[in-house]
Amino acid sequence: MIAQQLINGLVSGAVYALFALGFTLVFGVQKLLNLAHGGVFMAGAFIAYYAVVSGVPFWAAAILGTLGAGLISVLIEIVAFRPLRARGQAEFAAIVASIGVDLILVSIAQRVSDTKVLKFPFGTFPIEFYRFWGLRISLLQIMILAIVAVLLAALVFYLKKTTFGRQVRAVAINEKAAALLGVNAKAVYFQTFFISGALAGIAGVLIGLSFNSIQFLMGEPYMLRAFVVVVIGGLGSIPGAVFASLMLGVMQTLSVAYLPNGVSEMIIFALLFVVLLFWPNGLFGGAGLSAGVGRR
Amino acid sequence: MMSYYQAYQPIIDFFLLNLGFAYSQQVALRAGVFSVATAGFGALGAYASAILVTRMGISPALAIATATLVGTAVGFLLSVPLARLRGVFQAIATLAFVEVIVSFLYYAEGITGGAIGINNIPRMVSTPALLAAVAAVMYVTWAIGRSGVGRAFDALRQDETVAACLGVSIRNYHALAFVLSGAIGGLFGGLQSLYVFSIEPGQFGFGFMVAILTAIVLGGRGTLIGPVAGCAILALLPEIARPLAENRPLVNGVILIAVIIYLPQGVGDGLLLQWRNRRSARRARAIEEASRAVP
Amino acid sequence: MPSLRLENVSKRFGGLTAVGDVSLTVPEGTITGLIGPNGAGKSTVVNLITGMLKLTEGRIVLGDEDIGEIGPEEVVRKGIARTFQNIRLLPEATVLENVLIGFHRHETASILAGLLNLPSVWREGKALRKQAEALLERFRMSDYADLPAGGLAYGHQRRVEMMRAVASGPDVLLLDEPVAGMNDVEADELGVIFKDLAASGMGLLLIEHNVRFVTKLCPVVHVLNTGRMIASGPAEEVMRDPAVITAYLGKGQA
Repeated sequence: MIAQQLINGLVSGAVYALFALGFTLVFGVQKLLNLAHGGVFMAGAFIAYYAVVSGVPFWAAAILGTLGAGLISVLIEIVAFRPLRARGQAEFAAIVASIGVDLILVSIAQRVSDTKVLKFPFGTFPIEFYRFWGLRISLLQIMILAIVAVLLAALVFYLKKTTFGRQVRAVAINEKAAALLGVNAKAVYFQTFFISGALAGIAGVLIGLSFNSIQFLMGEPYMLRAFVVVVIGGLGSIPGAVFASLMLGVMQTLSVAYLPNGVSEMIIFALLFVVLLFWPNGLFGGAGLSAGVGRR
Repeated sequence: MMSYYQAYQPIIDFFLLNLGFAYSQQVALRAGVFSVATAGFGALGAYASAILVTRMGISPALAIATATLVGTAVGFLLSVPLARLRGVFQAIATLAFVEVIVSFLYYAEGITGGAIGINNIPRMVSTPALLAAVAAVMYVTWAIGRSGVGRAFDALRQDETVAACLGVSIRNYHALAFVLSGAIGGLFGGLQSLYVFSIEPGQFGFGFMVAILTAIVLGGRGTLIGPVAGCAILALLPEIARPLAENRPLVNGVILIAVIIYLPQGVGDGLLLQWRNRRSARRARAIEEASRAVP
Repeated sequence: MPSLRLENVSKRFGGLTAVGDVSLTVPEGTITGLIGPNGAGKSTVVNLITGMLKLTEGRIVLGDEDIGEIGPEEVVRKGIARTFQNIRLLPEATVLENVLIGFHRHETASILAGLLNLPSVWREGKALRKQAEALLERFRMSDYADLPAGGLAYGHQRRVEMMRAVASGPDVLLLDEPVAGMNDVEADELGVIFKDLAASGMGLLLIEHNVRFVTKLCPVVHVLNTGRMIASGPAEEVMRDPAVITAYLGKGQA
């Protein structure tokens, strides 16, 4: 039974990881929180849904949702973040502007969906289960794990092994110095926002599919969970975000299974609070920014 | 005249309630504290006074006083651990605080009524009471602006290191900001629950935080007039045109982006600053001419 | 007024020694010079004295009190004020407001009185305003009182920063490159004010690049190079020291 819960937890943790990676990537590069990330996630699910109902095959719809979310994310960079960065001191302003973007995305989605909960048509994705060692795992869960593993590997390769990855890290460390060395910071921001949005988009599609429920407010709980994940993992740290996501997924499934209803929420956010106080740079170290004050 | 007032009374009352919460948010930001805890203080105040009134038959005045005290105490308690954090980390920690409070309200059904909330609250607060509370909060905000407390807050917001090097105690003044934010938040939470008949946990979540933040960003973070301007515009917009009322979140979103990019000080603070700058530009010109006259 | 003593002060970041074994005294009523090339550790010394950095070794003593372990908020209350190498004003505040915040440590009205705007607060506010205006007068900045500090010319910003430090009523004033970027006339104007402050009993530590300016004002000059004190003594003597010339001009020039 516990083993079954562990599997379920790992699967939902894997989706948290997709969501949180994009969020922490943007923070890692520009030290700003993008609170529209939940809206982008929701937009990805919406695009895929409307593609499916208008006859596009699911795999193509999922790609559309992913790319669409990536483009929306780039749009956010152009409209909301770039003007603020140009002015400097954007920490507070970026939070405000991205909340504004989120409000816009959510209310458009509410309009479009007429406040209804949308469901993918029956048969969008085959419902099949495999059993082994007394455990049950669905085809969808296997696909989710596979997609997350592939995307994660691709992201790590991209950041560690390619020229672009080196440019991203250079801009993350010091934008001005990187620009002097000929790095096109604008292109770096474009690409990080696109990757971040695309990851959120595919996460949205997968979540919409596994719960078979898509609605305009679906981003909010994931946004809140992303805070938990990126703080525990260390804001801006990619391996930290992955570990913390899996941990959160497992913890949540276990607490939902074994604790009274509603306690799991409380525990998660209390954990966030406590981690911030005692390990503000995350449990695994390596956050991109010093969290507090104190004399060295 | 009287019927005119009656037609607009609910708008005025909600304006006053929001204004109170806005001052709670503002006092934190003014001191450079990056807190969104106002929603949590409001929730605690609202539930405290609702429970006292409905379950224990305590008088509304005493219930609201208790709500204020609860907010004050929690504000102080929150300030102690949060002194270690800055910037976005402080914001996330206060967000976690609000989420813990809200999920507790959902969970503790026996005390709070869970998701259904508390629904049998008599209306015991009227416009004059709200006006009096807003007046009191505005008086304190005004007094802060004239005193050393305001100077310390403003210094902390603009440059913490400099403030520390001039002897401003970061810990004490941040704690004071949390306490004031908690007191005002608790007070208006208490007032709100004795005004709106029923409360439930969801109303103090993310949406509440965003609404209050919108008012402050729109109005301004530094001056007495800022929250008034912000709340007034947000209250009046839906009255001006129906489409604005129907697409409220959309309009708020556009406002947030436009204001933070083009008028980062906010409407109230921005106009005040512009007026001051124009005056000082004239002054600077005068100085220059005077110095040219004397060779 | 008490004098400030640094006794064998060291600061290491990891394996890097920013300041090693530095001793010096800032006696009351004098201007003491501290010079050295870029990266010599001059600003680190200031940050150590003001408690912004923690000491690795040594003692910092004001009068007969050890102030080496306390943070910046306490240090200023003990009577040490500073200016910053890269000017740090409160940009949104006016010149007068910038100076007023300097008086913070002398404010006696309680916080509660401040929240309620009791008479004690406005009496004190009036008194502080008067003192601030007197200070503006002394630095010849009265005309600028109501202008936003962020928009002032560079030299004027420096003055505002100094007024703010003086407003805190220090026994010892640490000036981190106060005349950097000024011409000789402007610098000499400030020199007169520094002499004035010293004459009132204050001890000044003048950290500078401008050797001419330092030799003119300081009876005693210390020279720092790569974190070590390489020379101390009367200005003319120190400037003839071959080690100092090497440090400043590079090898082969001595």
